Amino acid sequence: MNRFDQLAEDALRGLAKRTSRRGFLSRLAAGILGSAAIPLLPVARRAAAAREPAPGEPDPSTDEGDPTNCAYWRHCAIDGFLAACCGGSHISCPPGTEMSPITWLGTCRNPADGKDYVVSYNDCCGKGHCGNCFCQRDEGEKPVYYTHKSNAINWCMGRVGVAYNSTVAVVVGMSSESGQRK
Amino acid sequence: MGKLAGVLVALLLIGVPIAADVPIETVGRVESLPPRGDHWIWVADIMYERNVLVDLDGDDQSMLGMVSVGYGPGHPVHPRAGAEFYVPETHYSRGTRGERTDVLTIYDATTLLPVDEVVIPPKRALPAITMATAALSDDDRIAAVFNLTPATSLSIVDVVERRFAGEIATPGCSLAYAGTAHRFHMVCQNGALLTVTLDEHGNEVGKRRSDPFFDPETDPVTEKAVRVGDTWIFVSYDGYAHPVDVSGADPVFGERWSLLSDADRDEQWRIGGNDHLAVHEGSGRLYSLVHQGGVDTHKHPGSELWVYDIAKRERLQRIELLNPGLTYLGTSLEFGRDWVWPFNGLYEWLLSSAPMPGIDLIEVTADDAPLLVTAAQFSGSLAVYDALSGEFLRRFNTGNVTNFGLHLPSGSSR
Repeated sequence: MNRFDQLAEDALRGLAKRTSRRGFLSRLAAGILGSAAIPLLPVARRAAAAREPAPGEPDPSTDEGDPTNCAYWRHCAIDGFLAACCGGSHISCPPGTEMSPITWLGTCRNPADGKDYVVSYNDCCGKGHCGNCFCQRDEGEKPVYYTHKSNAINWCMGRVGVAYNSTVAVVVGMSSESGQRK
Repeated sequence: MGKLAGVLVALLLIGVPIAADVPIETVGRVESLPPRGDHWIWVADIMYERNVLVDLDGDDQSMLGMVSVGYGPGHPVHPRAGAEFYVPETHYSRGTRGERTDVLTIYDATTLLPVDEVVIPPKRALPAITMATAALSDDDRIAAVFNLTPATSLSIVDVVERRFAGEIATPGCSLAYAGTAHRFHMVCQNGALLTVTLDEHGNEVGKRRSDPFFDPETDPVTEKAVRVGDTWIFVSYDGYAHPVDVSGADPVFGERWSLLSDADRDEQWRIGGNDHLAVHEGSGRLYSLVHQGGVDTHKHPGSELWVYDIAKRERLQRIELLNPGLTYLGTSLEFGRDWVWPFNGLYEWLLSSAPMPGIDLIEVTADDAPLLVTAAQFSGSLAVYDALSGEFLRRFNTGNVTNFGLHLPSGSSR
């Protein structure tokens, strides 16, 4: 495999990671315009670097410490638009939406302390697709019948309605389970 | 002059009695579909909230018609016989808010008009998968719609009587796969299969849960099973096929077999994709999307399609997949096909040089000269192959923004 092929494959895998559930329009833009590269641009990095590090979090100027980046450590099993790109943050929903109380869980390793945390991916509901920062990662993800570990389910359900907008990634506990399967 | 103008105006008003080259036409005509073709396929678009019907033997960019299906993936269920089909739909009174209504809509298969509907509990699941969220009994009478609130259940509809027959609680078990008679099967979180048996009116007769037939912790099967005759084939993340015979009152679990050799595994080949399996019953073939990747890549799109003889449990062929084509808001970006050589090959060169987007979805038509259809979710274009030889035939634009599901118009495999 030559270098070009490798580059192409890497680009494809990046795209593939973000493909499946709800980022259909954003994927279109990503595929055609190469918007996948935008978080890598200097302006985006400067914006990230301006933030203060949060307690226990990786450096926000790195991909693994930036909640608007798909590579952010808490996003290891997310599938959706990142609320931090949609008017909310990684722990709060955008204005006018409602956070679904029922959710799916992932187990992700925090590179800042090397510990595994249980992350709750609550959907923000009641408005249409955000369209920004689609991200799909499937570490430890299970099929729909394994309900609480499936990211293919629209968790906007019940009182909050089915319209899906975006997703947060809230740390709800420590885990003894490995989040870094090989 | 004034007289002449008056005559002209009068002629314009009453029409000129001279022979027209174009026949005078009638306003208000609406088409109906011709008899069903062997190479028709429905393609779902989650952005335009519709399912489009295309004839793969037709012109490049022509669709036969469409149905608008409301919020979420539209998973149509097609009877084996009959002149209608059914789509579970979710609608809000004010778009994304207001009162939610879930219905099983009955469409006329020739006019594509919604001719009737059955209101079902507003609980249906809206997962981002394109199969197994609804099913129809083999006698085309009873439909089951999978609910998730997150409590799991089935909504049962008698489609002949156009009647909601009731809701059946199915704790711990999800999705819906048709069995024979009036049975539906569901996959449970512990790896078991739940069989729900109904009478001919859709009333619950019994529920029975099998022993687990796979380990959901170490190697879960995907939801994307395919049916050959009375056997459902589930495939696990690690590439093992689990045949399940549903011809009797209880499912019979066959011995699992591997789609991947040891050498394949050493090279990191894995199954994956949003709809990664298809079958052609006539030739006894199973089609499986594969890619090279690590653990947790069960949703990665495929770069190749591997074809198997189901009876012999051996691989027959590897098909290297091509880019299905680029579209923007439903419009094909193809250019230059009528340009002078070599520029007429520019688009093809561009596609072959660009990173392969990866194929998420496959389907195979059920006839004796079957076509293999492949799609990538972010494109509205399909790539079509001869399903027996693997030869690439053409690209076909659906007009969709996203191709999110492929469904045959007859209830053969799902």
